[in-house]
Amino acid sequence: MNDMSIMESTRAVQDDVKVAIKNLYFYYGGAKPSLKNINLSLSTNQVTAFIGPSGCGKSTLLRVLNRMYDLYPNQRAEGEVLLDGENILTPKQDLNLLRARIGMVFQKPTPFPMTIYENIAFGIRLYEKLPKSELNGRVEKALRDAALWNEVKDKLNASGLSLSGGQQQRLCIARTVAIKPEVILFDEPCSALDPISTAKVEELIDELSDKYTIAIVTHNMQQAARVSDMTAFMYLGELIEFDETTKMFTSPAQQRTQDYITGRFG
Amino acid sequence: MADFSVSDSSAAAADAARVRALASFKAGDRLFQGLTTLAAVTVLLVLGGIIISLSIGAWPAISAFGLDFLTTQRWAPNARPQAVLGGLGPIYGTLITSVIALIIAVPAGLGIAVFLTELCPQWLRRPIGVAVELLAGIPSIIYGIWGFFVLGPWLADTIEPAFVNAFEGVPILGSIFDGPASNLSLFNASLVLAIMILPFVTAISRDVFSTVPPVLKEAAYGLGCTKWEVVRRVVVPFTRVGVIGGIMLALGRALGETMAVTFVIGNSFRISGSIFAPGTTISAAIASEFAESRDLHQSALILLGLLLFVLTFFVLAAARLMLMRLERKQGV
Repeated sequence: MNDMSIMESTRAVQDDVKVAIKNLYFYYGGAKPSLKNINLSLSTNQVTAFIGPSGCGKSTLLRVLNRMYDLYPNQRAEGEVLLDGENILTPKQDLNLLRARIGMVFQKPTPFPMTIYENIAFGIRLYEKLPKSELNGRVEKALRDAALWNEVKDKLNASGLSLSGGQQQRLCIARTVAIKPEVILFDEPCSALDPISTAKVEELIDELSDKYTIAIVTHNMQQAARVSDMTAFMYLGELIEFDETTKMFTSPAQQRTQDYITGRFG
Repeated sequence: MADFSVSDSSAAAADAARVRALASFKAGDRLFQGLTTLAAVTVLLVLGGIIISLSIGAWPAISAFGLDFLTTQRWAPNARPQAVLGGLGPIYGTLITSVIALIIAVPAGLGIAVFLTELCPQWLRRPIGVAVELLAGIPSIIYGIWGFFVLGPWLADTIEPAFVNAFEGVPILGSIFDGPASNLSLFNASLVLAIMILPFVTAISRDVFSTVPPVLKEAAYGLGCTKWEVVRRVVVPFTRVGVIGGIMLALGRALGETMAVTFVIGNSFRISGSIFAPGTTISAAIASEFAESRDLHQSALILLGLLLFVLTFFVLAAARLMLMRLERKQGV
């Protein structure tokens, strides 16, 4: 696949690049790369969906963007990931700061073992020393942004673990939003949720895209079509096609994309 | 059988075989249930038997001293006309040494566990883990000998005088760290106990720390938490119940440890405010005196044993209660 054509096609639709991934290779240890020469860009305030069969490297790519792989000693990335033009893969990148700028929501809801209020306030306190009243305001705002406020406003002191799965996931989104990131990564955020919760989270992603640059990994083709502006199809660690979502789902340039989207493999 | 349709008689035979098989399963089930029930009931019987025999043995001392036993410091088995025996010294020593041992071993043990699960390079994990577990395998008599010949003299020459000098004239602390330095002391016993319970605290905390789902930790790192914040705010709260359980197990061990403590504590029934003074614990007192004891003296030692039993029971009960309240507060 010709990289230049990808670059050109993306350049056509985007004017403002938030995250630019250039010649990215990723290794889980060993010599065989799990991501091969990935080149693509996330545009400011757009939703970019990553689709592809299991093991194709979608989630791996997300974990490179906030350098979550750094927690594990043998994993390494080569190439460049530019956030606002600055390479975040350099050793001198402050990881805590990076993860404050690039938030992540996981496949399974991960509320911390503390109250609902604390789950949100915890993250805010890491970065800002706020008076109690202002902190309360921020917690409420985050919960409102995550469309959870009305359901939890009377039980802010209950454990985060007492919520339902869908509520927990929105709590995690609220927690991520609360620290005012610039980019939010969603790693299959709905795969553990029922259809109603899924609809709520999708609606939320749509609203969040007004303010944040969003990347979402999903196994659900309809979900990618519903929520995203741009879609990237990955297969066996390579980026096969990257284009506007409407184009990807109606007339993809690659046969493999066509096959995957129509369910002929994967 | 000539025809392939199942005849009435063969169907009945199959039914009968099935009923027989089920009946034999049922008998096996009943036997299994009986055996496990027996095992469980045996525990209760043994426990009850121990309490009853301790009470019977302690009865002469209880009727002779009553509640005064708990408040009397004097331990004079040969006094005339009647022996004067009070358990305050050993009870005090038991509590003080165990508490100091916990104060030292819990932070150290949690620290080691955090290091092993969160920070340690992979290749170093096993050697340190095995070393800590080996600590638990050393017989207590060896700790006693080491404490007596090596640790005690060293403490008396270096650490203890330094503390005594540093806190001289300071209210309260001055009397806790009061001289003269002594080879055999509550402090020495506490240190030996701390080393002995360290493996419990470490091994249990390490095991429960590694039950924290990686994705939960990743979520915390994903917010930009430092390692300290992840441990402090996510790992420890998530595993609080297990960690407290481990600490209580360690405390139970510390309260009852006998041999090593008997070696290094000095076996003095007199209570001195200083932790550098000799003292005794319940189990050390029993171990060192039981062989030569008779009559009321022996009964008093058994009473001490009963008190240790009660003390341990209350510690464990308090731990249970605390865990229950914690769980309710967490709403899980």
